[in-house]
Amino acid sequence: MEKKILEIKNLTKTYGELTALNSFSLSLEKGEILGLLGPNGAGKTTMISILSGIVKDFSGTVTFKNENLFSNRELKNYMGIVPQDMAFYEDLNAMENLMFWGGLYNLPNSTLKKRAAQLLELVELGTRAKEPIKNFSGGMKRRLNIAIGLIHNPELLLLDEPTVGIDVQAKVNILDIIKNVGEQGTAVIFTTHQLAEVEQICSRIVIMDKGTLLAQGTMDELIRIVGGKEMVDVEGEFSANHFSEIIKNQNHQGIEILSVSDNLANLAFDNTDLIPSMMEQLFKNQIVVSDLKIKSPNLEAVFLKLTGRSLRD
Amino acid sequence: MRKIWHIGITDLKLIVKDKMFFFWSLLFPMIFIYIFGSLFTAGRTDTKSALMVLNKDKGQWGAYLIEKIDAPGIELKKVDAIPKDYIRFVIIPENFSQNIEAFKSQSITLMQKSDSNLKAGRMAETKIMQSIIKLITEMIIKGEKDIKTFFDKKPEFRSMVEIKTRFPDKTITKIPSGFDHTIPGILVQFIMIMVLVSGGIIVMEDRKRGILSRVLFSSASYLELLGGKFFGRLLMGLLQSLILIIVGMIMFHLNLGNFLYSFLNILIFSACMACLSIFIGSVLNSEEVIVGVAILTGNIFAALGGSWWPMEVVPDTFKIVGMISPSYWAMKTFHQVIFFKEGFSEILINFVVLSVFFLVFMFLAVRYFKIRD
Ligand SMILES: Nc1ncnc2c1ncn2[C@@H]1O[C@H](COP(=O)(O)OP(=O)(O)OP(=O)(O)O)[C@@H](O)[C@H]1O
Ligand SMILES: [Mg+2]
Repeated sequence: MEKKILEIKNLTKTYGELTALNSFSLSLEKGEILGLLGPNGAGKTTMISILSGIVKDFSGTVTFKNENLFSNRELKNYMGIVPQDMAFYEDLNAMENLMFWGGLYNLPNSTLKKRAAQLLELVELGTRAKEPIKNFSGGMKRRLNIAIGLIHNPELLLLDEPTVGIDVQAKVNILDIIKNVGEQGTAVIFTTHQLAEVEQICSRIVIMDKGTLLAQGTMDELIRIVGGKEMVDVEGEFSANHFSEIIKNQNHQGIEILSVSDNLANLAFDNTDLIPSMMEQLFKNQIVVSDLKIKSPNLEAVFLKLTGRSLRD
Repeated sequence: MRKIWHIGITDLKLIVKDKMFFFWSLLFPMIFIYIFGSLFTAGRTDTKSALMVLNKDKGQWGAYLIEKIDAPGIELKKVDAIPKDYIRFVIIPENFSQNIEAFKSQSITLMQKSDSNLKAGRMAETKIMQSIIKLITEMIIKGEKDIKTFFDKKPEFRSMVEIKTRFPDKTITKIPSGFDHTIPGILVQFIMIMVLVSGGIIVMEDRKRGILSRVLFSSASYLELLGGKFFGRLLMGLLQSLILIIVGMIMFHLNLGNFLYSFLNILIFSACMACLSIFIGSVLNSEEVIVGVAILTGNIFAALGGSWWPMEVVPDTFKIVGMISPSYWAMKTFHQVIFFKEGFSEILINFVVLSVFFLVFMFLAVRYFKIRD
């Protein structure tokens, strides 16, 4: 049986001068949970919007279940999309919403009812099914939003920032749901700019920025990009330019600047033995260091190395 | 088709669930119906036809005639001289009995005030005619005492002569006024307000919330989405009509004339408003603005189109201005169907004009409907 469910090839989308998506390629197998990691404006939503059919005028191809996704509307019956907005009726209750959204697919009413009840259990809204959604918390609304995307039992689920704007407990909840969905054999792509999320539940991670795919692989594969290096964060009173000049001029072999801004620098060291000599150089140049942290390699370092910027907003 | 139905029904459900629904669809229009209904309740139909009789004849036939005219539905009053103030009265000439027995032509005069009720007048006329026929029959079968004993003896004659009187099809039995005018008027006004307000707001909010795009994530097509929205608004118009018609029938004995024509009228008018509401929901961006625009246009069109006062009583220039409002054509149809009992060929022109409005509004709806901002 064919395992590949989705194949994106050379997707390019421009808005005037701006290239939102630049020859983006990706493929996905059944049951995979893929985290699409990228800072604001990376092109994550653009990618999802193209797959969902609401953004047009792009180049490239998308093959879904071995067919051109855009040539056959029926393929949409196998794809679930959870947009970043809470796109549902606040004046209807959770059950009524699921019945409405499910009614847009060719499912018998009885199947639909059963499925809706199951999903409400899955997203832990079983006891709140008949309550007005107006009374729901942000996390509950997010969970309903996901349930709606799953109502027709899709083979591929796309989620755009499913954890944005909710508290930690609610986030953990949603990640559990996504994991659960993946375990039941549905392929999942979800976008985020939260490193911790992809670290927790993804079987594969894609890092993108400015419309370009920078790297992809499992967690371990990605961390190998920064090799066996040690991560060092330096805080102090300095300007970004001055700091990088010193490091470069002194020809510090084995020290790599991942990113630098005023008063904060992220560095990668081949060896922590190099730290004292760097401190000496900084001291000679009248730079006061207030804090220095040594960390083991993580996804954040990979991200910094690839994009030169931090994921933090 | 199933998806269009599904989307439309959901929109209808949304408005019915709204707390304000019964205010907009029932309470508010009822206030209008009461105000305008009692304002324009001119010429209420008399239940009885008042008739004074001056009998100058001394013989038996004059008295016979009066006896026959004095039937249920006629409020007969005998007088001795021509009254100064009357609604209608009839004069039986001197020597009436003598003259008719000699087969001389006789005239009986019925006088009516010009502002008297038309229907009651017809009733009196009819009654007098019937009585004259009875009188003539009586004279023919003279010797058999009276018609009753004649028919009792000869039952085979009973079914030979049958007198039936009815109004010609297009007799004006009412002038457009009272609740039969006001309820359709307010109905037209509130189909417009309700469909534009509720329908417009839902289209706008669905767009802003991303619901319209999400519908297209499914295998529903753009046309099914637009069709569903149209259908939902058409149902809103029909539901509004149903509510006011039922209340009107129960509380005010509303008469819609030919029901099929009235229904067609409501259907086409609702279809116009359904398209218009998709248009305003697509181009306007806030609830307040939509409510404002809908109520303003709804009321202006109601005034111009003859929802409040009958167009039959306004000056011609006003009437011509009124023609720019679809309400004018819907009201014209209602008046023709309810009051003048006109047929399909007479109201067809109104339907054609409303269909042109429909096409224009549909063009606007299709052209400006947008999935997202
Ligand atoms: N309709 C549009 N018109 C013009 N530019 C757009 C449009 N939509 C997106 N863009 C631009 O395309 C780029 C990619 O945007 P996109 O929304 O895909 O990013 P994102 O990764 O989803 O970001 P975020 O994390 O903020 O959601 C951005 O620079 C954005 O400004
Ligand atoms: Mg986004």
